[in-house]
Amino acid sequence: MASYTFDAIVIGAGHNGLIAACYLARAGRKVVVLERRDIVGGAAVTEEIFPGYRFSEFSYVVSLLRPEIIRDLELPRHGLKILPLPSTVTPLDNGDYLAGWDDHDLTRREIYRHSPLDAEAYDEYSRVMARAAKAIKPIIGLVPPDPSSLGWRDLKGLLKLGRFGASLSETELYRISKLVTQSSADLLEEWFELDALKGTKAASGIIGTFLGPRSPGTAYVLLHHYMGEIDGAFRAWGFAKNGTGGVTAAIASSARALGVEIRTGAAVDKVVVKGGRAAGVALANGDEYEAKVVLSAADPKRSFLQFVDPQHFPDEFVEALRNFRVRGSSGKVNIALSELPQFTCLPGEGPLHRGAVSISPSIDYVERAYDDAKYGQFSRQPYMDIIFPSMIDRDMAPPGHHVMSCFVQYAPYDIEGGWDDAKREAFGETVIATIEKYAPNIRRAIVGKQVITPKDIERIAGITGGNIFHGELLLHQLFFLRPAPQWADFRTPLPGYYFGAAGAHPGGGVMGAAGKMAAEEVLQDWRK
Amino acid sequence: MPEPSTVHHPLYQLKRTPFHARTSQLCLPHNWRRWGGCIAAGSYDLGLDREYWAIRNHAALIDVSPLMKYEIEGPDAARLLDKVIPRNVQKLAVGQVYYTAWCDDDGKMLDDGTVTRLDEQRYRLTAAEPQLRWLALNAVGFDVRVRELTEQVAALSLQGPKSRPILNRCCGTPVDDLRYFRMAPNTIDGRPVTISRTGYTGDLGYEIWMDAADALPIWDSLLRDGHDHGITPCGILAMDMARVEAGLFMLDVDYTAAHHAWIGGQKSSPYEMGLGWTVALDKPGYFVGRRALEREQREGSTYRFVGIEVDWESLERAYASVGLPPQIPGMAVRGSLPIYRAGRQVGYASTSTWSPLLKKYIALAHVERPHFEPGTNVTIEITVEHRRRQATARVVALPFYEPEWKKK
Amino acid sequence: MTLPSTPSPGLRPNSPAVVAELKMPAHVDVIVVGAGHNGLIAGAYLARAGRKVLVLEARDFPGGQLSGPRDGASFDAPALYPAALVRSEVVRELELDRFGWQAPTAPGPYVTALPDGGVLHLASSATDAATLESIRRLSSRDAARWPEFVAFMDRAAAFLDAAYATGMPRLPAVDWRAEGLPLAALGWKLRRLGRRDMFRVIRSLPMTAVEFTEEWFEAGPLKAALGALAVHGLTLGSMSAGGGYNFVHQWLLRGGLGHRTGAGPQALGDALVRAVQAHEGEVRTGAAVAQILVERQRAVGVRLVNGEEIRARTVVSAADPRRTLLGLVGAPELPPEFVWHTRSIRMRGSVAKVHVLTDGHHGLPAGTTVVAPTLQYLERAYDAAKYGEVSTNPYLEATTHGVVVSIHFQFAPYALRHEDWTSARATVERRAVETLATHFPKFAASIREVRSITPPDLEQQWGLTEGDLNHGQLILDQVFFMRPLPGWSSHATPIAGLYLCGSGVHGGGGISGHPGRNAARAILRHER
Repeated sequence: MASYTFDAIVIGAGHNGLIAACYLARAGRKVVVLERRDIVGGAAVTEEIFPGYRFSEFSYVVSLLRPEIIRDLELPRHGLKILPLPSTVTPLDNGDYLAGWDDHDLTRREIYRHSPLDAEAYDEYSRVMARAAKAIKPIIGLVPPDPSSLGWRDLKGLLKLGRFGASLSETELYRISKLVTQSSADLLEEWFELDALKGTKAASGIIGTFLGPRSPGTAYVLLHHYMGEIDGAFRAWGFAKNGTGGVTAAIASSARALGVEIRTGAAVDKVVVKGGRAAGVALANGDEYEAKVVLSAADPKRSFLQFVDPQHFPDEFVEALRNFRVRGSSGKVNIALSELPQFTCLPGEGPLHRGAVSISPSIDYVERAYDDAKYGQFSRQPYMDIIFPSMIDRDMAPPGHHVMSCFVQYAPYDIEGGWDDAKREAFGETVIATIEKYAPNIRRAIVGKQVITPKDIERIAGITGGNIFHGELLLHQLFFLRPAPQWADFRTPLPGYYFGAAGAHPGGGVMGAAGKMAAEEVLQDWRK
Repeated sequence: MPEPSTVHHPLYQLKRTPFHARTSQLCLPHNWRRWGGCIAAGSYDLGLDREYWAIRNHAALIDVSPLMKYEIEGPDAARLLDKVIPRNVQKLAVGQVYYTAWCDDDGKMLDDGTVTRLDEQRYRLTAAEPQLRWLALNAVGFDVRVRELTEQVAALSLQGPKSRPILNRCCGTPVDDLRYFRMAPNTIDGRPVTISRTGYTGDLGYEIWMDAADALPIWDSLLRDGHDHGITPCGILAMDMARVEAGLFMLDVDYTAAHHAWIGGQKSSPYEMGLGWTVALDKPGYFVGRRALEREQREGSTYRFVGIEVDWESLERAYASVGLPPQIPGMAVRGSLPIYRAGRQVGYASTSTWSPLLKKYIALAHVERPHFEPGTNVTIEITVEHRRRQATARVVALPFYEPEWKKK
Repeated sequence: MTLPSTPSPGLRPNSPAVVAELKMPAHVDVIVVGAGHNGLIAGAYLARAGRKVLVLEARDFPGGQLSGPRDGASFDAPALYPAALVRSEVVRELELDRFGWQAPTAPGPYVTALPDGGVLHLASSATDAATLESIRRLSSRDAARWPEFVAFMDRAAAFLDAAYATGMPRLPAVDWRAEGLPLAALGWKLRRLGRRDMFRVIRSLPMTAVEFTEEWFEAGPLKAALGALAVHGLTLGSMSAGGGYNFVHQWLLRGGLGHRTGAGPQALGDALVRAVQAHEGEVRTGAAVAQILVERQRAVGVRLVNGEEIRARTVVSAADPRRTLLGLVGAPELPPEFVWHTRSIRMRGSVAKVHVLTDGHHGLPAGTTVVAPTLQYLERAYDAAKYGEVSTNPYLEATTHGVVVSIHFQFAPYALRHEDWTSARATVERRAVETLATHFPKFAASIREVRSITPPDLEQQWGLTEGDLNHGQLILDQVFFMRPLPGWSSHATPIAGLYLCGSGVHGGGGISGHPGRNAARAILRHER
């Protein structure tokens, strides 16, 4: 039983934990990051599942990572490269396809051939969404104030919020207030007539959420996905060189350069409380770490209901965390391929393989996929977002071979009867069968396949419920309500214990904002 | 193993105009530009001089097919247009063409183009940007049919003092009686066309509208019959110089469409752009932007779109101070240049060009009240050998150039 | 916040402008389109403030949704609403008791059948012994929470009532004195609920029925019975976000769960007509407005279907926003983007009414009877509506009026995909009767005659676009300052002198009288 002393302990070496550690270390603090697994990365890891084939096992695209974090931590110097993921192609049931290319004129031409009106609506829609994302961006970087508090910090936050509201134009206000409350189906039906366009756009509104596109509130999730920014361009999505693990590897490298100690295979069992303060952690192996503060980047359920004895928290807080919704709704199928899938809608190797392929022919398709899941089954015809990482980064697969990443929704965590091997196999088969309809050579191309259910996400990445956002982006779980009322400012009712991961404001995606803001709040408290 | 595609899928390319088979053969520098999702020849020659002088001396043949074209037909066609544009469509006669801007409901310009009355209940609208959605939003409650004809209708612009004799030789009916901003049906090579006396150069000129299937024979006919008059295929770069001389502005270069603007300050009103004459506040009923335009007319505009003539001696001195002769760009420059008066910025030039005809450096500019009155002395920022300088300049009324034969 | 009882300053009798006006031939100051409760209330307030008011009603009798069909069929079906609980301010300020109105006071029980043949009996009272006993049979934990739940609901509803009574300004251009202060006062009211309830209210509104009921209770039948109220009148399911809002809204309108019995809604209509008349106002029936006359973006009067033109300086429409703006004003007179947004207002009615004449031995308990055995049942009923079908197993709410049993049927979507309403009417009637009979076996034998009101009937006879009883779905993006559209929540329209006062504006949906009252106050303020 060993014991160590630090200024700060960060639980979890996912991107948020590492980023928080970096910011603390930058301020001259002695920081250790404790990671349960033997590798760093959390849900942003690249693993060689089959020899020679490397996969971004869970999270697979980047764009939400805050540019200021990339600059502050000098991530490019530590190996971060973000490669473009230029297009989205939706195969249609009639053998045709609908594409969104990375060129305005090409996209317009493409949509025009299906619907001239939608081609123009799409232009305007993209501008409106980009403006809304830009307008709402200040909120992302704002520590949520507690509207019930009369403390100076909260009042200042509320004032900032008020000023933000007043700065919006009437059209921006219209859009933002609608976007925050609408269903993505209603939003898209206002704009478009093409089923495939609506279906594909609506899919962004359900990712990581256990709601269908017709439920109010999903437009916000859609907007959340519009907040991606690469090199100042809104709405650009990219793929990290060496997979998403490449992002966390760069952050870890930056952390080490800043003097952060990262210990893997160090599973935290409990947060040690002394004199009503968090004083350190005890590992499962009995090791103890002492520190002035502990910052958890694990999911809210673990952070508050597992690591800490409920007696240290007010009942209301515990109740709020128990009610916090973390229902995982998505799975992932990672496939090693001997050849590229040939899509009948666009034969040959082409631009389709360099971007995303979306299986989302209509809103009804996605909604029906949800219908299965809400009654406890995985979708018989799931929504899928497919990319071919080896077409973007040739180092992801052996020469001539490929890897394919399929994000699949819906796969409910609480599947009827619970997940087992047979159900996982059936789920994988459903995914293959769905792809096969559009790319008949898929079966013969498969060299290996890894099927990940929400249960597996929980088991491997340690996210309770297997929700990719550590908690659904529901309206009552956002901003000053995330993860719990009064405790959305990255502090917790236990002094010395902080919380900075996707379960906090502003939510999931490889964004890093929560980790950064949590570290800043720690430093602010220290300064006092 | 799938074969990597050696050529791009036909749908993964920019569009080509119906004249592509000819223009691509002629385009010596391969300087293709984008225009309305098409590729358009920047110039056919390696330099712009010959094409520019063809506009001013002979006749230039310009492929303007990428212009957006819409046909509006039905009992309420005029009512729809009267809602969309600020001009009075009730007064537009069959065979007449309006040039007009149109606005959003805040009175800020969305686009500008022409409206032609083809028939009692049939109109053609041309625009720089797609307008189908805007027309459809406006058409709710009207008995009209709106069709986009951009790809079905090819268009050529024949511009220059010799354009009339060429058309008289080429067309089934002489065009002598076709007055300025009028349109009439005609034939070329036995194929039906409509010809409007319009253009984007400020010279005598015509635009010829035809079925895309007839594009190539008509092109050939015009080149053949125009040969002796010096007809010259001309790209969009020479036209860009000519349109500045004519004081004609371009969407998203000289003003930002209200729908494209990120911030309010980027938007312009017709009054600011010198198109107050197109705003018929005396027409009855609602039209889009009416309330805002009434207010602006009452209260006056903050900006006005004007011409700027740069003082040549001042330019020469600025270059001479570093030991250089004046450096003149060979084409119109679409970069913004700040304009100052008494040390304070009072506006900016959005396009500037050397005018080979006027032998002046000229610019189109947005200038704040009260500095926009013609004759006002200002300075314009230029960069001489990597350093900022101020050249003296003068506000002038537009256009810079208008030949007597333009409207005759 | 009561209205001045003396005429507003704009009508000083000595001012020269008024003298000139009085010399004009008999004229009308204000035309109100529609003599439903909100039209009559707005008319009564304006008449009381000295305006010469003319209320025009298309049908041959006033009352709107306070009336039944009255088409001379064999038995008179009751009003669309089983009860009317107009706000007490309205009763007081319009002195409705003077005109014969007696507010219903007796809260009726809310009853649902249990699978074991018993019933769950819910009175909206924290202390009712029968209710507590009834719940205790399902779960003693739930019974223990019931008093707190009822108390919270009463407070939440009171807050919503205050919100409805507060005019929603046209954001972001707020008139701080007239609109900002009341809004700040409303914020203060929310804060005064106490931290716990404040967050509960905020969190509850966007929740799904499932989430909302699960936070309180564990017993399935109880959750389902309550969940039914969260989807009542909406085209949403128990798993759609925003159910919490509708639950509070319904609780407010009913004064609890069950409808209150007493004077029927028709009596309210009669009293309101008398209130208008008492202030020299006129209510003209059989006077259908064909068009609202507009000159230079200003309303100048109306033209009736019979061609008669009536001029007035102000026109107030109690018809729904889509009908008013696109039907009566007409899109050509309106800004194109406003037309687009107005067309995008979600109406989407899916409520049918089935009235059954029985021999009196129907076996239904007194009060409000609900058929919603499980939360999933509600969701499945809604699934049908999503795909344009009538629910196979509908959610029903039945009330008895002597020998007549009135059944509220969900879901019967206005826009059917696979059949039309001529054939679907019989389906709805059959399923309503059969479903109710499964739970109340005596019912089947008691039936004498069945008549129904389908969504198209609601549209044709009551003038409700798409048969939406609420003049626009009560979904999160169509309430508060987003009702009917963001930027237009202050009753004004792009047409000067034309105002909206129906259920489609803030406070609307159901019978409360807030929209009519708020509209009158806004008009008087504008005109000042």
